[in-house]
Amino acid sequence: MSTPVKAKALNCPNCGGTVQLRGLGQALSAVCIQCLSIIDTSSAELRIIQQFKVKERVAPLIPLGTRGKLHGADYEAIGFQTRQIMVEGTAYEWREYVLFNPYKGFRYLSEYDGHWNDIKPLTGLPERVSHQGKPAATWLGKTYRHFQNADAETTYVMGEFPWKVMVGERAITDDYVAPPDMLSSEKTGSEVNWSHGVYMAGEQVRAAFSLPNPLPPSRGVFANQPSPHAGKPGSAWRTAVLLWAALAMVMFGSSLLMGQKEVFKQMFTFTQGSRGEPSLVTGAFDLDGRETNVELSVRTDLDNRWAYFNFALINEKTGQAYDFGREVSYYRGRDSDGDWTEGSSGDTVLIPSVPAGRYYLRVEPEMDPSRPGQSMRYSLTLRRDVPWNLPFFVAFILIAIPAILITLRSAGFESRRWAESDYAPSSSGDDEDDDE
Amino acid sequence: MIKHPLFMAYGLLTILLSGYTQYRGWGNISTNELRNVPKTIRDNPGSYRSHYGYIPRYAGGK
Repeated sequence: MSTPVKAKALNCPNCGGTVQLRGLGQALSAVCIQCLSIIDTSSAELRIIQQFKVKERVAPLIPLGTRGKLHGADYEAIGFQTRQIMVEGTAYEWREYVLFNPYKGFRYLSEYDGHWNDIKPLTGLPERVSHQGKPAATWLGKTYRHFQNADAETTYVMGEFPWKVMVGERAITDDYVAPPDMLSSEKTGSEVNWSHGVYMAGEQVRAAFSLPNPLPPSRGVFANQPSPHAGKPGSAWRTAVLLWAALAMVMFGSSLLMGQKEVFKQMFTFTQGSRGEPSLVTGAFDLDGRETNVELSVRTDLDNRWAYFNFALINEKTGQAYDFGREVSYYRGRDSDGDWTEGSSGDTVLIPSVPAGRYYLRVEPEMDPSRPGQSMRYSLTLRRDVPWNLPFFVAFILIAIPAILITLRSAGFESRRWAESDYAPSSSGDDEDDDE
Repeated sequence: MIKHPLFMAYGLLTILLSGYTQYRGWGNISTNELRNVPKTIRDNPGSYRSHYGYIPRYAGGK
């Protein structure tokens, strides 16, 4: 609940209306909300600084007189103003609250599209520097990147202010960000004021001031809004590197443990169209150990020809056959682009998950039937329990995917942040973001 | 402390699956598995006809 407090009051020298004073004499101007006169409260004369007109009065989200606790101290909202900047003909308006504690002095809250900042004027002077070729500022060892330069105009005021506020007052503002922190400079005439802001969520503000109703939800990404993905891409890639190291260990370790035992090797000759049965069976060989793969390598002397092999790896005892076919073709030549080759005179395949047992291989070669009499020499080599690295390469890519996604999400957040800055990649994207 | 426990679990599962494929001896072709092939093939290889036989072949060449 907001806490009503007793306040001093004065009568407006213009309309005679009551103007409440909560700044205990430390404010320099106060606004008569009845006649919209700004009164100089720095002297007993109560001179009217300005009378202004507005189309519509603005109700602050934190009613003036509300007390809240910030940084362990009670602050009272005593002033409120709206300010705006014009960008490409569009007005962007934000709200600022003047907070006062008799012992701590003044601090401010700003709110734009549901994003809040807890702001304290700086007594020191940040240094303007260049960071990665762009303007920046340093303060207390921290570098803040320049975000936006703007010409800000005060459009509405109410309550009290520690300066002689005026509607229509303009200031050149420069914002520098290092989320969740922000440095802002405001230049009015020859005077430059620096302030330091820290991002606050609406719920934090609501809790600090015990506001009864929820504050409007935030929209978009604000300049110094801390990224929910901050630091995650780096840690994700470190995780990926750890996993890749583990993957490499498993890959090389398993390769070392696999038998890769040669169980059969023989040379053959085949002549297309010769009389007799073209198929043959090899001698029997033993495949030992657990159920694992068998590598078959075919090497031929093919040159500008093709051959097709029907293979059947047959278990001598059980009669189980693993039937498959392979084409081997090798062509070469020369054309206007130079020398070219296509295919290979050899082929290697891995027959998956073959149980242990005594096997033989049935081989049925075939060559171009339109060229009877052509022959080839070929060798067959069988090896048992051979490493196959493709699953590890697939795993390598699969491991990278989460890290890539995390990086893209983080980059997307930063992209939306900087789309509102002076350093947006293109101005066309601004309109889309504004529609959000 | 593990900053991405789900990522780590997913990665370890991926590694385990890769290791499992290696242990089980997976290969890069699919075969047509036949049971009870007659023992006469040993003496008469022509009595067996491959599942993959007699498919029109690509003649190759650029």
